[in-house]
Amino acid sequence: MTFSYRIAYVFWRNMISYKRFILTTFLASLIQPLFYLVTFGIGMGAYIGYFGGKPYLYFLVPGVLTTSVMMTASFECMYGTFVKMVHEKLYDSLIATPVSAEDAIAGDVAWGAFRGLVSGSLMMIVAIFMGILPVSPASVLLLVLLMVIVGVLFGSLAMVVTSFAPNFDFFNYYSELVITPMLFFSGVFFPLDKFPGWMKTLSQFMPLTHAVAIARAIFNGTYTRSLVFNFLVIFILETAAFLIGVKLMKKRLIK
Amino acid sequence: MKTIIQAEQLCKNYDKFTAVDHISFAIEEGECFGFLGPNGAGKTTTVRMIHCVSPVSSGTLTVLDMAASIDNRTIKKNIGVIPQEINLDNDLTVRENLQVFAHFFDIPGPEAQRRIDELLKFVELEKKRDSRIEQLSTGMKRRLLIARALLNQPKIIVADEPTTGLDPQARHLIWQRLRQLKSQGVTLILTTQYMEEAQQLCDRIVIMHQGRILKAGVPTRLIADEIGREVTELRVAADQDEKLLAELGPLARGHERVGDSLYLYSDDGRPLMKKVLELDLPDTVHRPASLEDVFLKLTGRSLIE
Repeated sequence: MTFSYRIAYVFWRNMISYKRFILTTFLASLIQPLFYLVTFGIGMGAYIGYFGGKPYLYFLVPGVLTTSVMMTASFECMYGTFVKMVHEKLYDSLIATPVSAEDAIAGDVAWGAFRGLVSGSLMMIVAIFMGILPVSPASVLLLVLLMVIVGVLFGSLAMVVTSFAPNFDFFNYYSELVITPMLFFSGVFFPLDKFPGWMKTLSQFMPLTHAVAIARAIFNGTYTRSLVFNFLVIFILETAAFLIGVKLMKKRLIK
Repeated sequence: MKTIIQAEQLCKNYDKFTAVDHISFAIEEGECFGFLGPNGAGKTTTVRMIHCVSPVSSGTLTVLDMAASIDNRTIKKNIGVIPQEINLDNDLTVRENLQVFAHFFDIPGPEAQRRIDELLKFVELEKKRDSRIEQLSTGMKRRLLIARALLNQPKIIVADEPTTGLDPQARHLIWQRLRQLKSQGVTLILTTQYMEEAQQLCDRIVIMHQGRILKAGVPTRLIADEIGREVTELRVAADQDEKLLAELGPLARGHERVGDSLYLYSDDGRPLMKKVLELDLPDTVHRPASLEDVFLKLTGRSLIE
């Protein structure tokens, strides 16, 4: 695999095209998570009240924030990349320049992660306005870092899906069979400890579970030893997904 | 003349399909070299291997004294590609399209700006610099592709069917620009299925069919060798061939039956035409020989099969 600094050029190309629809994407990436916050947070939160010594929203916000990063990065690297690859033939023109296929794909994963970061940060800002603050300024920085890591993870996983997607409809399988279940089985809205054993085991196979656990710990400053395991899972999965995603996409692009 | 591209027994195989089948050719610096052939002849696949976006299956391919490979950024840096498919960036304006590409080639900002202004003038798109791609006509898009291919001041330009889908005026404008580039010393590699285009632009051509090179040479030479100077077309049913050829055959240097027409080749068509008039055939054309005749002679029969 040949990666180079040209990854940044590909990222920059996306940035230029982004400036034309930046506002609509802001709205799109805010609406759904905002609904979760309002309905679950305020509606259900009123019944739940306190949760580990803090209002329910402190539990919910880091979960929704991580979900939002996952959604945005995934969709960008599925629909966004697919359009660029199949409809616009953009990759064909890229790989005829000194930009390699690897650079182009890595640039798009980085872009998906950035879009995820933007959505997650918007959520964080909304939460701050609602008075739900991360425990310290340092934890804000750590959350930003985490969002980038989570963005690359889900961007890479989406690349794997895109590498063999024959058409748009194919992405429905991934979002219905993988993304949506993760939303409910990863402890975004409620803790997993009341789940029966097999469901707990299942949830451990979901990358979002580990991402949410870390985000929640950072947000509330409640660090435990199990976070090392969460982080390790994410790190290994991310490396594997990225390398496999790049490899499969390259195979699709170069014939 | 220095050889700039050399292929020996070059092959490209897909799963069960051979797109390019043991071809050999050499392209010299500063010439315009054409790949001619019908759809699926292997022209595009060949040039894609030359500009390093498609790996070589077997054989050798040397470009600028380096082995062509998809990871060879140095070759890519020295080649400008005018692709068959219009793959401009629809999210960006005309100028942004060029700016982004200038980045890909590591051209520093002020220099890129200078080249972009110059190239937009060259392809007559200065007024469209801030337009979106969708606001351009097909001819303008093709011209922008040329500008984009020139940004890196390439030694070699690969033009893959650069005038497909253009009206005659737009086509002539593209030809002029390509000739202008050639006069500046750029090596031009052209694929086309338009014989006129090849005759207009190419110093040397190869005629490809089903992944193989059928003939190679200078266009006028190929015509003279394969066909002669003149062609007489007789639109008559095939069952009359035998009778007609008995009368006309000795006056022609060759003949070919393609579909509803019988083609007779000659260097001096006057005796032949006299006989044709004598026979009072209803539907005949007498005209100078062209590359199209060479092409039909070489590939015509198998196309009907």
